[in-house]
Amino acid sequence: MKKKHKEESSRSAYLFMLPALIIYLSVIVFPIFYSLYISFHSGTGIGMMKFVGLQNYVAMGSDPVFWQSLVHTLIWIALTVCITMPVSLLFAVLLNKYMPGRTFFRGLFYFPSIIAIVAVGIIWRWIYNPQLGIINSFLKLIGSSYRQTWIAKPDTVLIAVFFASLWQGIGQPMILFLAGLQSVDPQTLEAADIDGANGVQKFFRVTIPLMKDTFVMVLCTLVISAMKVYDIVKALTDGGPNNASQMLATYMYNQTFAYNNVGYGTAIAIVMVLIMMIVIVPYLIFTARENDGRKAK
Amino acid sequence: MNAKVKKRVFAILKYVILILLAVIWLIPIFTLVFTAVKSKQDFFTGNLLSLPSHIEWSNFTNAMTKGRMFKYMKNDLIISILKVPLGIFLSAMVSFALTRLHLKNRTGWLVFFLVGMMLPMQIALVPISIIYNKLHLINTYFGLFYVYIGFGISFMVLVTQGFMKSIPKAIDEAAYIDGASKWQTFVSVILPISKPALATLFITDFLATWNEYLLASVIINDNDLKTVPVGLMTFVGEHGTDYGYLCAGVLVAVIPVMVVYLIFQNYFVEGMAGAVK
Repeated sequence: MKKKHKEESSRSAYLFMLPALIIYLSVIVFPIFYSLYISFHSGTGIGMMKFVGLQNYVAMGSDPVFWQSLVHTLIWIALTVCITMPVSLLFAVLLNKYMPGRTFFRGLFYFPSIIAIVAVGIIWRWIYNPQLGIINSFLKLIGSSYRQTWIAKPDTVLIAVFFASLWQGIGQPMILFLAGLQSVDPQTLEAADIDGANGVQKFFRVTIPLMKDTFVMVLCTLVISAMKVYDIVKALTDGGPNNASQMLATYMYNQTFAYNNVGYGTAIAIVMVLIMMIVIVPYLIFTARENDGRKAK
Repeated sequence: MNAKVKKRVFAILKYVILILLAVIWLIPIFTLVFTAVKSKQDFFTGNLLSLPSHIEWSNFTNAMTKGRMFKYMKNDLIISILKVPLGIFLSAMVSFALTRLHLKNRTGWLVFFLVGMMLPMQIALVPISIIYNKLHLINTYFGLFYVYIGFGISFMVLVTQGFMKSIPKAIDEAAYIDGASKWQTFVSVILPISKPALATLFITDFLATWNEYLLASVIINDNDLKTVPVGLMTFVGEHGTDYGYLCAGVLVAVIPVMVVYLIFQNYFVEGMAGAVK
């Protein structure tokens, strides 16, 4: 009787998952394998595809723009980890305890995350405008002779685009950190108080270690989204000037849809996935272990 | 006394930092609004920081009609309204199976469903565009809507299963004893209890769908069917230097989102925090 019930329940579990599973398989799982197949071919994708083996992957090795995009993507990840993460933690710490105006500040810093990134790109393109943009206009107003072309200059473009992205994207990690800070047991902090710890010690020795899960989550989501960065670059510079802000994602798109090198573009996408595996696999193992751990409790 | 003074100083310092950051965060928003209401003459006569001589409403009417913003917003609304509830419903069904029904290798299934959230969409772009070309799904709402559901499943499963895990099993058992089927238990017991998670998901996913650019730019290239982000890029292509007009277009596109945000602000900041716990 019990066994029969279990079998029935198991069958209905599959039935409940079926509709989503069909869509998921056709939109994500199948295209991954199809992409792998395409990456071993050359051609425009619509007409004849010619099998070329690993040639697309070999070609990457001698393609300077590919290496540039890879380096820019890695720089972008480094900037996200070294700047976005601490800054969003700072925002969260400042806005954790109740004080007048807290809701306003939280709302303001989160607000850019709800705007289309393309719109953010347009706004910042205007801010960085060398003749009429607000930054250079302000410099002129205070009598400074310093002018910068920001996104039109290879030296400054990456950092300028990154700042626009920081303005846009701080809200999400800030909220994750706020949730993490709120989950820290106040009694533990009181215990530290009694032991004579000061504010800074409490923060680094008690709060941060207790927020381990939050840090893992923020780090992984930030790295994953940095790896995929596309919209903001597309809207601000489209990889220019002279590939100085080219990312793997923009380069993949340009190769595929602008130059019609479908096989090569897809091979770049496969490389993106392989690099992301370095982050994803440990994260999934961590999540799965947490999930099993909770069940065992 | 000393401790009290110290506390005061810290509080003031905190406000100074926050206000400074708030000013930086507000500059782009003010720039946008200021530029959008300026006429062309204002641009070339005045300084960027000077006030507009009058509010140039024609920027907005032009953006809505000639710039097709109105049409883009309508298209985007249709897709988001169709996609979000259906996506949530299908993902909640998955989570119901993952958390409440007998299933071998539960964790394996969960991980399988979560992987999609982490992969770059680029991996699916070429296959989707090839298949869509063959099936004539390019430039259709259905085509876009279908991939949106697929790419949304991972995050929605993550959030809904997190919430459903915390609902006591006794509730299901009570429903089964009352003679409810699994489907009835799902629809009329578990779904209503999950409302807080579903509401948060509804709003965040609505915005994510409304703002999505990459897939929409590949699947839709007909001006009559474009969504807001793709439309905005077209707008830039057509009026790259006319910033008053361009900013009016952006502002028009941002206003509905801003209204939703102001009404449901608590769902974002408090709700998101709850959803990820």
